[in-house]
Amino acid sequence: QEEAQAIDQELFTEYKFSVDQLMELAGLSCATAIAKAYPPSSFTTSQPAVLVVCGPGNNGGDGLVCARHLKMFGYQPTVYYPKRPSKPLFEGLTTQCKKMDIPFLPEFPAEAAFIDELYGLVVDAIFGFSFKGAVREPFGSILSTLERVTVPIASIDIPSGWDVEKGKADGLQPDMLISLTAPKKAAMHFTGRYHFLGGRFVPPVLQEKYALNLPVYPGTDCVLQLT
Amino acid sequence: QAFPLPSLPRKQPTVLVVCGPAQNGAIGLVCARHLRSFDYEPTIFYPKRSPDPLYRDFTTQCEKMDIPFLSYLPTEVQLINDAYNAVVDAVLGAEAEVAEGTEPCAAILATLKHIRIPIVSLDVPSGWAAEAGGSGDISPDVLVSLAAPKECARRFLGRQHFVAGRFLPYDVQRKFELNPPEYPGTECVVAL
Repeated sequence: QEEAQAIDQELFTEYKFSVDQLMELAGLSCATAIAKAYPPSSFTTSQPAVLVVCGPGNNGGDGLVCARHLKMFGYQPTVYYPKRPSKPLFEGLTTQCKKMDIPFLPEFPAEAAFIDELYGLVVDAIFGFSFKGAVREPFGSILSTLERVTVPIASIDIPSGWDVEKGKADGLQPDMLISLTAPKKAAMHFTGRYHFLGGRFVPPVLQEKYALNLPVYPGTDCVLQLT
Repeated sequence: QAFPLPSLPRKQPTVLVVCGPAQNGAIGLVCARHLRSFDYEPTIFYPKRSPDPLYRDFTTQCEKMDIPFLSYLPTEVQLINDAYNAVVDAVLGAEAEVAEGTEPCAAILATLKHIRIPIVSLDVPSGWAAEAGGSGDISPDVLVSLAAPKECARRFLGRQHFVAGRFLPYDVQRKFELNPPEYPGTECVVAL
């Protein structure tokens, strides 16, 4: 967890990347990976409807970017974003989604069965690699509901609620994990079908410095399928 | 896509990226950075640097990725032809009117007119936007129109024309009657 935070810090302070830049590339990777694993034609719902659940931090921001690109790729995303930071970045991302006719739910579906009815996929953009400690409401109840959902869940970077290094055996079990920059230790406990790597922006020198040993991305793709 | 690594004639996958002082140049900087992560060896010529903090950060990102910045552009075209596989023209965009005739852009364009390796122009072939049509213009091999083709793209006679920048919301596309081509799958470029 500390290493991931150190890499991020270096990207921002030494390389002068902006949060906006990296978040855009991360969100695009997530949407691309999702499109590869769950193409619109594979949905059993009449429209390729996707529920994107966004948390209160950067992972939520990645989710907003992902939702916007999913729309461009022909999906019908819907966002649930209960705790919104009042920062221009997140306000901008929210506006971009709304202006693209992506609906924002006023409340979270009360039952897992409702989610299964309406959506073919759920994107978990609640907590990321900075997550520590206890889960605060409303996310505790949201995660309990998601744990009972039967449609596939795609988690951005870390399955939400998991310890970033040790995982959580009785927690969310997503079908897909999109690791950003490099897989975190928790990824060792991932048992879903699809593990993708995204966030193709780590300069070679930084990769060496942290001995990331990242596999080679194919061609100009921004994602790499690991399993 | 237009110049895949295995297709390059030179031993090293070198590309010269020539960046102008405004937004088109900044796009060139971002392009150079991604070319580097695609394993090309870009070199940047960026004589007149924008003071915009965002563009200054793009410059830092390139420098920290060990992308060299030339201190001058050789006027001897053969040097450019020999050193690089292609040149990315990120000098002037669609907004350029006054800049075109001023230094250092005028000198850069004068040199680029005579090179023989392929030129890839970003958004508009530099210098074309201001004129209705001129015999003294650069002739790019590849044009990458951003968001949608610009008016002067009608005169483009090169080998490949791409549209890139898959970010226009559907209602903006409709409002301006852009009728963009369909991007395949999750691609962010489409060949016209």
